[in-house]
Amino acid sequence: MAGGYLVPIALIAIVLACAAIAGIVRRLVRVSLLLTLPIAISVILVSALTRPGETVLLVLGPFDITLEGVDFAGQTLVRLFAISTAIGLFTLSTDPRAFVFDLERRGLSPRFAFAVAATIEAVPALASRAGVIAAAQRSRGLDTEGSPLTRIRGVLPLVGPVLLSSLAEVEERSLALEVRAFGRPGRRQLLWWPPDRPRERVARWLLVAALAGLVAARVLGAWPAIP
Amino acid sequence: MLELRGATYRYAGYAHPVLHEMDLALRDGEIVGLVGATEAGKSTICLVASGLAPLSIGGELRGEVLIDGQPTTRLSVHELAQWVVIGFQDPATQRSGVAATVFEEVALGPMNLGLPVAETLARTRRALATLRIEHLADRHPARLSGGQGQLVAMAGLLAMGPRHVVLDEPTAQLDPEGSKLVAAALRDLAATGAALLIAEQRTDVLDRLCDRVAVVDGGRIVLDGPAAATLEDPRLGGWGVEPPARVRLAGALAARGLPSLADLGWPA
Repeated sequence: MAGGYLVPIALIAIVLACAAIAGIVRRLVRVSLLLTLPIAISVILVSALTRPGETVLLVLGPFDITLEGVDFAGQTLVRLFAISTAIGLFTLSTDPRAFVFDLERRGLSPRFAFAVAATIEAVPALASRAGVIAAAQRSRGLDTEGSPLTRIRGVLPLVGPVLLSSLAEVEERSLALEVRAFGRPGRRQLLWWPPDRPRERVARWLLVAALAGLVAARVLGAWPAIP
Repeated sequence: MLELRGATYRYAGYAHPVLHEMDLALRDGEIVGLVGATEAGKSTICLVASGLAPLSIGGELRGEVLIDGQPTTRLSVHELAQWVVIGFQDPATQRSGVAATVFEEVALGPMNLGLPVAETLARTRRALATLRIEHLADRHPARLSGGQGQLVAMAGLLAMGPRHVVLDEPTAQLDPEGSKLVAAALRDLAATGAALLIAEQRTDVLDRLCDRVAVVDGGRIVLDGPAAATLEDPRLGGWGVEPPARVRLAGALAARGLPSLADLGWPA
């Protein structure tokens, strides 16, 4: 039973150690918990309450909470947390622009690289636009404070204007990009890309090798699945 | 020289043309203003003069648009961008959204052209210097005032190295201070030899800036002449154009039998 926990916990420990080096442990834990919590609740409810087993820990109405169910939920949760912390470490420690520039330097299409970078940068811009529209709507009497239901009712009228105003700008944005030769085929000459130090290259190849090894072990049956 | 000869343009999906038999010529170093009521066709003229209509947005163009004698329809959009560029009224839509600094934003065009790094850096510095915004180079493009943002957008266009610049209401979203910044920059730009075509609602801006003004009504140029004389034409109101403040003030003084500004010793 414990074998199903060891590796995910070890991975979480490695990720948190990396996060500590980067100085982002608290942010990482907060983000990972936020990401994992909604799924965790459903996993606990479904697995603990409905998974069959021999050892009944607790009876809740028509449901038997079994040791096997709790164990399954636990193993799934640590795996979810391992995944969310790994993704969180990447997104919190990597400058999106540096990532995209590096991909482009290695051969990714400039237009695809731009699309990725623009999408990432669009989130704060959308949030800012939503804030402006919310302030305008509040000045016209829209109530966005109070109970959760009131807040939801207050957010819904904002969705349309935010999306429509974003869409209305699309043509002008596209033309503005075209005028600056965005559509020109071929590679472009970057002014800057992130440095690729030898130890980073070694770490990268080690990670790729470890990933390949783990996948092979799983496919060949050397790595057990969650029972 | 940038020329429209007999240009008639119909947007894709429209039943009728929006521009009719338009003739317009811009000499190097000349600043020409376009003025007219809303929906008169000013923005369409800008899109046609820049070649984006029909190259990029489609539609049907009859007649010719020539840059130094060469038809724009023979060029691709990115080739055309090295001859003529167009700026729009909202600085926010002209930001790429991926640059962390103004310098990067302005350098985007030359980078897209695949120019060598040294050339890109030189063009970027030159564009910033022309518009006197070197001090903004390290700022984030999203955290600028409207006037500064518009100047950055213009610098991004200049870095393409165009011969001609078309601007569609560059001061529309700017306060008076921002408008002054942009107007001063445009004067400096024309002094480098670029031909400028500026569509504007604000006749005061055109009055201060332009050598020539063309009045657009119903997709046709109905009046084209020296800026001062054109903006004093009494028919402007009939075409939905408000004359500049000095013309309105002179008219109000005359209507009341009061001395003119010139008689009062007011500087021109």
